[in-house]
Amino acid sequence: MAMTDTLSSPAVKAAGDGIAISGLGKVFSIGRKKVNALEGVDLHTPQGSFLSLLGPSGCGKSTVLRIIADLEHPTSGTALVHGESPTVLRGHHHLGIAFQDPALLPWRSVEANIKLPLEVAGIDVRPGLITELIQLVGLEGFEKARPSQLSGGMRQRVAIARALVVEPKVLLLDEPFGALDEMTRQRLNLELLRIWTERVTTTLLVTHSISEAVFLSDVIAVMSPRPGRIKAMVTIDLPRPRTPAMLRSPEFHAIEDHLSELLFSGGVPTSGDDV
Amino acid sequence: MRAMLGSRRFAGAVGVTGVLLFWVLAGELWGVRKGIPQPWSVLSHLKDDWHLYPNHLKATLARASRGYLIGNAVAIGLGLAFVLVPFVEKALMQLAVATYCLPIIAIGPILQVVLSGDAPKVALSALSVIFTTLIGVLVGLRSADRTSLEVVRVYGGGSVMQLRKVRLRAALPSTFTALQIAAPAAVLGSIIGEFMGGERGLGIFMINSQQALDVPRTWGVALVSTAVAGIGFGLTSLIARAATPWAPRSAKAGRE
Repeated sequence: MAMTDTLSSPAVKAAGDGIAISGLGKVFSIGRKKVNALEGVDLHTPQGSFLSLLGPSGCGKSTVLRIIADLEHPTSGTALVHGESPTVLRGHHHLGIAFQDPALLPWRSVEANIKLPLEVAGIDVRPGLITELIQLVGLEGFEKARPSQLSGGMRQRVAIARALVVEPKVLLLDEPFGALDEMTRQRLNLELLRIWTERVTTTLLVTHSISEAVFLSDVIAVMSPRPGRIKAMVTIDLPRPRTPAMLRSPEFHAIEDHLSELLFSGGVPTSGDDV
Repeated sequence: MRAMLGSRRFAGAVGVTGVLLFWVLAGELWGVRKGIPQPWSVLSHLKDDWHLYPNHLKATLARASRGYLIGNAVAIGLGLAFVLVPFVEKALMQLAVATYCLPIIAIGPILQVVLSGDAPKVALSALSVIFTTLIGVLVGLRSADRTSLEVVRVYGGGSVMQLRKVRLRAALPSTFTALQIAAPAAVLGSIIGEFMGGERGLGIFMINSQQALDVPRTWGVALVSTAVAGIGFGLTSLIARAATPWAPRSAKAGRE
């Protein structure tokens, strides 16, 4: 079978020179109520691997990503990527990020939006870099267009190009195609795969699409909600480069079924879960 | 026909015609003796009096524009400080609200005692714009897209960088709306200041005409004051349109 569940496999834990998350916990205070968003999350991946966090909404998968992005601080535990803390990663401009909302600045052209991270980081634009990126995401001819003139899919391509412009060591993708229609989403997944293959980067993708996770990832962490925990780690052994034909293969469907089972059954009992 | 009824210009013309008709009717019913001259009588007086206006107009415009600049500069400065340093907001917001609650006509005499020359009139004009502009600037700065701010943060930017790259531009549409409202307010503030006394200015001219029982002239001065305030409003909106081409504008949708 083209997968192995390795929640407790020491091999994966030892290879934590990519993402190394240990005992991560996060409690949000909403008024007087305390919400346990994450509890005892452990994630370890080798450098350059593609990790997806898969789970229903509200399982804290975005919180893990936001902690690595230094947008949230964990209540307990540590998160390191390539041995660096989120604050260091952010300070050294090692992060690239894309959210579900492309969050383009409406007054900037496509080109100027892609340049934004460089301006913020104070890095000089290498000649030709912006043109390369625009070609990479297939937006030739739209360099001067404003976001309001683009379709949803095109805006998300700009956001991907913007995430890559600092040549990040770590790529964080928070449901980047979550708001797009299924067809556009599949096309952009193919492109993302191509882009990722060209410059292998330690990547963390947050998604609630099973097929998207299987198609793109080396490892999938299946999460359960309230409090957010890792239910299972599933290694995807499908060969690379992956092709659209694989989406229809029996191996692909077997992995999908296995993941659905993990997601929808109480595969691992979740203690303290009274919902 | 439906397109015509729906167009803003047509609706505007209907409104103006309605007001004019009401004015003529009121003039017929009550007449000059009750203080309502006919529009044509006001206009013909305005034409005869025109040589008296430039001096007053210049004085009022000078005060109003100084008040406009000073008041808005203070408001924009406060708005930026409030967003960058939350403590400043806690400390000064109450004060800003107080300036707005104080009736301007009540501060007038105090300023008249404390300051001299043109200063009390300019100060009244400035005071009448500070609060509205401050609120406009704050709403604008806070309306900045949260995710865009996070993008700046992830690439190593702090709150000053967020201000420079995202908030300032995001604040423009709402700031311009406030500046538009501020233009007539500055003129009004300056005219109220002139009611307190002085030699030249539309407010003084208005009071003098009223005391001379020259009803059509009093109306004429009021009309000119309104026009000045309206021109200020219109000019600001033209500048706003040129400066924020990306911003959605309700007028555009209505023109179809």
